Amino acid sequence: MSQSLRPYLKCVRSSLTAAMSLSDFASQTAERHNVPEIEAGKSPEVLLNPLTISRNEQERVLIEPSVNSIRVSIKIKQADEIEVILVHKFTRFLTQRAENFFILRRKPVKGYDISFLITNFHTEAMLKHKLVDFIIHFMEEVDKEISEMKLFLNARARFVAEAFLTPFD
Amino acid sequence: MSLLLEYHNLLLKTLLTERLNSSTPTGIDQIISDFDNVTYHVSTPEKKTQILISISIKCFQDLLQHGAQGVLEREYGPYITETEAGYDFSLLIDLEALPEDPAEREDLVRRVSLLRRNTLAAPFEKAINTHHQLAEAAKSASPESAPQQNESEVMVIRYRDEEAMYIQASHDRVTVIFSTVFREETDRIFGKVFLSEFVDARRRAIQNAPQVLYRNDPPLEIRGLVDEQQQQGQGEIGYVTFVLFPRHLTAQRREENISHIQTFRDYFHYHIKAAKAYMHSRMRRRVADFLKVLNRAKPEVEEGEKKERKTATGRSFRVQA
Repeated sequence: MSQSLRPYLKCVRSSLTAAMSLSDFASQTAERHNVPEIEAGKSPEVLLNPLTISRNEQERVLIEPSVNSIRVSIKIKQADEIEVILVHKFTRFLTQRAENFFILRRKPVKGYDISFLITNFHTEAMLKHKLVDFIIHFMEEVDKEISEMKLFLNARARFVAEAFLTPFD
Repeated sequence: MSLLLEYHNLLLKTLLTERLNSSTPTGIDQIISDFDNVTYHVSTPEKKTQILISISIKCFQDLLQHGAQGVLEREYGPYITETEAGYDFSLLIDLEALPEDPAEREDLVRRVSLLRRNTLAAPFEKAINTHHQLAEAAKSASPESAPQQNESEVMVIRYRDEEAMYIQASHDRVTVIFSTVFREETDRIFGKVFLSEFVDARRRAIQNAPQVLYRNDPPLEIRGLVDEQQQQGQGEIGYVTFVLFPRHLTAQRREENISHIQTFRDYFHYHIKAAKAYMHSRMRRRVADFLKVLNRAKPEVEEGEKKERKTATGRSFRVQA
């Protein structure tokens, strides 16, 4: 793990743990409704201050807490157009399977690549610290996966090109 | 499929090998597809012993201008027959008049299964012949009077709807340019990665390979020809240039190299697709991995809780979720 990654992930972990103190909260504007307040945005008094943690210009995490839900958005590093396309493909692949991922938001928040929405119902049904673990694991793995895919693509291209040109030799 | 593509059509070859070696003729009516929208029709229209093989190829008119007829006559001489309606070229094999020698029969099958390759080879052969003529002329010309005419006109073969091959002969090389269209952003970027490796391969490992160049605007040689074509602007167009040097064009090497360069587009696209498929299976695996981690967050349900609980009187009740 690189030098700047460790404090970055540590900071995300503690901020997430702190933000994830959620309680059941019925909607104040609509009777018999119980919605994630961070998405509804109808009662400003239950929204807390959003927090951005940046590792560098390209990588950052946005945590938007509220009384009964938090939204975590991740911007994944994209150094060149290959990485852009790989990140795009990968996040699209994940969001298409959002049903299985319970906490995954189908659409990322603007300016980010992927978003999670955790409500009090999730924290009731699942262990809070394990949810934090999942998000940290995700952040670690996603970078690794993208760079591995990129390396693979280059290696394959090189191999294929040499195989094609060798018969001319 | 192995890494490199075969030059012949496997299905056509298998079919003919089977027919030529069996003693009981049967009726055939089969349509076989090949790369670049080429279609073969293999049938026995009159007698079961007479197999008619027809090929339909998009750019046949272009090829005829560049001597396809001559090449086909050389390759298939006595087997050429009246062209079937709806196709461009037909061969007729009479099973009762086959050569006796098994090796000759095998050679016949091989030649027929190379029908697409041979049809497309005509402009390449013409270019290589022109190259040799120009090279001779350049050699005999004195250095003071530099040869004026040392490049032939560019031959255009529109072998797909939006893509074409351009071939130009010169006294010291033959240039083959492929135009490629990428419909999708992903294909475009993957293609770029692959092509940059083609460009670098020569510098790195294979010094004698043809020079490969890649650019997005038409190269100088064909600039005049491209504008008149349909450039509808859907999808990204790229131009891949192969420069074949005299050592690729010698009599021993030319047949092999003509076959090989024809497979470029199919090979290139095949590997882009293979890379995409691999990425997909990789992402699938990664998603399964993430799900496993997420499911760890669920507290394990204790065995006792799952069972139905009963009251003293024997009634069961469920805890409402």
